[in-house]
Amino acid sequence: MAHIPDGVLSLPVLVGGGVLAAGAVAVGLKRITDLEIPRVAILASGFFALSLFAVPVGPSSVHLLLGGLMGIVLGPAIFPAVFVALLLQAVMFGFGGLTTLGVNVVNIALPGAVIGTLCAPLIARATPKRAALIAGLASALAVACTGLLVACSLALSSADYTLSARVMIATYIPLMIVEGLVGGFCISFVKRVKPELLAPLQSEAAQ
Amino acid sequence: MRRKLVALLACLAFATPAAAHRLKLFATVEDGTISGYAFFVGSGRAHGAALSIADATGKPVQDMLTDAQGAFSWKPPAPQTYRLTVNAGDGHVSEATLERSRFGGVPANTTSEESDDATSTQEGVTLSQAQIERAVEAAVARQMRPLLEAYEAAEGRTRFNDIMGGIGMIIGLAGLALWGSNRKKGVS
Repeated sequence: MAHIPDGVLSLPVLVGGGVLAAGAVAVGLKRITDLEIPRVAILASGFFALSLFAVPVGPSSVHLLLGGLMGIVLGPAIFPAVFVALLLQAVMFGFGGLTTLGVNVVNIALPGAVIGTLCAPLIARATPKRAALIAGLASALAVACTGLLVACSLALSSADYTLSARVMIATYIPLMIVEGLVGGFCISFVKRVKPELLAPLQSEAAQ
Repeated sequence: MRRKLVALLACLAFATPAAAHRLKLFATVEDGTISGYAFFVGSGRAHGAALSIADATGKPVQDMLTDAQGAFSWKPPAPQTYRLTVNAGDGHVSEATLERSRFGGVPANTTSEESDDATSTQEGVTLSQAQIERAVEAAVARQMRPLLEAYEAAEGRTRFNDIMGGIGMIIGLAGLALWGSNRKKGVS
């Protein structure tokens, strides 16, 4: 899955991922306003705790990634959130690794950031039902993109650890469905209960 | 809406019995045979995963797939240090090393028909030195296996306290960030 351990990726991939992640985290941090800090922290905690729980699926096991959901709510601020959560997971539980931290942050946060930023204005205007549909599709798409990025990271590194298409299809398709459902439920819930959470960030910053 | 929430909670409840997501490799030596299994901490075995065994110099000596229980077993031609790597095919890789000393003093493929240095017991049953050593090795390996398995499983387990600690850390960081940004505002 998305937590690539130490010793699997080659140096150029590690350095590339690290530089990209550092830049993205810096940009994300710069754009966080005071009002958004608690929001970032809540989603970072949620991602940290939920992605520790995995269920066996087919020959492997999967856990939630929440990339789409975090991207919709946080936009570029997803990078610091994912960075902190993955750092703690690596240090406390040995999930992923410290050298692969950058690559893992990019793999999980980049699809969420791009898809979330694109979808957020649509969701802000939509009815709760439509918002749920958009968020569900966005979440599933973010999972697929994360899978693709993981596959690229491994393929660029060496031929030793190629992904098995069988395992990828057996694990990512159920995960996409579940993520889509979770993303849809959460966004439709937030949309009804606290729609201002999904309002564009610029208007909030201007207040 | 309430129904949806219940469904979401049910999904989460279904997800909680299994904790953690990390591939680990359990391997041990019993009677000169390497055996073990690949598993995800807290959530089942990795079946059909590619296992590769290399010798001390890093030269691959044996490749195989784990079976439906994630298990494997291989009898090496000679006792030496072996390095096992398992690849679940989805970016999960784990390694284990079995030192030469784990194979004990008995070469893997000795025949037990050496009665030259036999020692007699009280009943007159003769057991060669090699036979005694082998019996002890087997008994110790049998007793140790559950312990080693429990250790491997416990090592990567996610504990509730650790998760709460991590969440606390994130809340603390958020507080720190708020404090920092307020201080900056106060100065300017």
